[in-house]
Amino acid sequence: MVRRVACALALASCAATAAPLKVDEVARGVFVHQGATLVLDAPGHDDIANIGFVVGQRCVAVIDTGGSVRTGRALRESISAHTKLPVCYVINTHVHVDHVLGNAAFKDDKPAFVGSAALGPAIEASRRYFVEHYPDDVETSAQIVGPDTAVATTRELDLGGRTLTLRAFPKAHTDSDMTVFVGDVGLLWTGDLLFIGRVPALDGSAKGWLAAIDELAKTHPKFVVPGHGPVSHDLAAALAPERRYLETLVEGVRKEIADGKPIEDATAHVGQSEKANWQLFDTANAHNVSLVYRELEWE
Amino acid sequence: MAGSASAADPAPGGAWQLLSGHYYPNREFGEVDEGFMHVEAPMSTPDPAATPVSLHFGDAARGRIKQVRLFIDNNPSPVVATLDVGTAQPISEIDFRVRVDRATAVRAVAETTDGKLEMRSAWVRAEGGCSAPPAASGEGKVGDVRFRSADEGKSLQVGIRHPNYSGFQIDPKTGDPIPPHYVAHMKLTAGGKPLVEIESGISISENPTFRIVSDAPIATPVTLEASDSKDAHFSATWNGAADRAVAAAGTH
Repeated sequence: MVRRVACALALASCAATAAPLKVDEVARGVFVHQGATLVLDAPGHDDIANIGFVVGQRCVAVIDTGGSVRTGRALRESISAHTKLPVCYVINTHVHVDHVLGNAAFKDDKPAFVGSAALGPAIEASRRYFVEHYPDDVETSAQIVGPDTAVATTRELDLGGRTLTLRAFPKAHTDSDMTVFVGDVGLLWTGDLLFIGRVPALDGSAKGWLAAIDELAKTHPKFVVPGHGPVSHDLAAALAPERRYLETLVEGVRKEIADGKPIEDATAHVGQSEKANWQLFDTANAHNVSLVYRELEWE
Repeated sequence: MAGSASAADPAPGGAWQLLSGHYYPNREFGEVDEGFMHVEAPMSTPDPAATPVSLHFGDAARGRIKQVRLFIDNNPSPVVATLDVGTAQPISEIDFRVRVDRATAVRAVAETTDGKLEMRSAWVRAEGGCSAPPAASGEGKVGDVRFRSADEGKSLQVGIRHPNYSGFQIDPKTGDPIPPHYVAHMKLTAGGKPLVEIESGISISENPTFRIVSDAPIATPVTLEASDSKDAHFSATWNGAADRAVAAAGTH
């Protein structure tokens, strides 16, 4: 308790001794920390996304950095505990706070910060919002670190002895989604294009997300790291519930619109058949439906 | 989730004290019952950038309301819209979609044909509705108009394709705020008679959408004349059920 108070008073000095995040080596040289299933205003909300790192022979690539500078520093400690190799890349799978706010913890490593070509603009548009709404997680606007390396479609990153293949997607979960494929072990890191267990949160295009699911389903990785939820070994099975959920929303909303129902009727009804299938369903479903309605009403 | 507050004023003082002094100096607000008018809004909005707000008018209010003003006390621009209501069509409900920036009273003040003021309100919890980036798909052209009717023509939704920039959204390319640009005026007629005339501002959501519900089928044709804050003009006509869900292109 005393230590927690001291941390609150002197975040910076405390961070230097941050306890390492628990990570699992899910495939050779690929380490994953599984985030908690919490809402964005709960204690511990800065550690809800899956984050981790890939170790090559020359250097390390970080994939997503957590929802606070604090979480990013704890991830940095985990890397130090596993390897003395430098961090040469920090990759963000999309713009959301739980995946990007830890970036500042890696500035001293002077890595390339890599994201979809849409990530930089998305971070600029959100910078003020992040500082105002997550003051305990990021101290200044300057601590919100955007990408300096943009991926328009695909790009390969060489870590020495292993290559990461990055792939940017059109508007889906967000407008800045990107996946990472670690070819030598057959591991696909999906970012939030895949939710397992936790209800998918839409912040882009439902139609685009379904199209991205179709694209992902054409690949056959041995390991799948979702944005939220446990590591899977069966991509098709892992995608099925998410596809069913999004299709339920699209079909349900199309019917509400065709029947002349207003948006509040749609948010009250659509998707409820999926309620038992997802964690934190009530925290996201109505918002998802509202966005789907606004997307589809101009079809 | 959806609830309507029963208190006439859940948040006395604060922003409302200033607003009422400005818009209604030295005026008294009548004690009204739910049967006259009430405001329905979600207690905690699922979508701060497009929060549904409904004004319901009871039998006692039909044909007796001259003007209604909708306020969101704690928004940067609290006056959402001012509506001049026609008397030819008995209106039972008008729905809006609004941006809500933070927890606030959403209130409607009706001025009756005999010059009295009646007020109802609801409390909404929200965060960030005015600065939320545009969300709807980018397809379509500014000024496109879409009518949708339901309930045997007794309800009509009218939407205008327009970014309705609030002035608090950030341009991703520059990091600076996008200047406000919004639908400022809409005039709807039904069967040649005034239905409603709406002056609106930046608290109205992207792609401004209104829904009007009447006791009787809404007379046709319905015409819309609208203009925005940069003086672009849009118009459209809807001829009834045959035009169901048909978009009529606006003119610029």
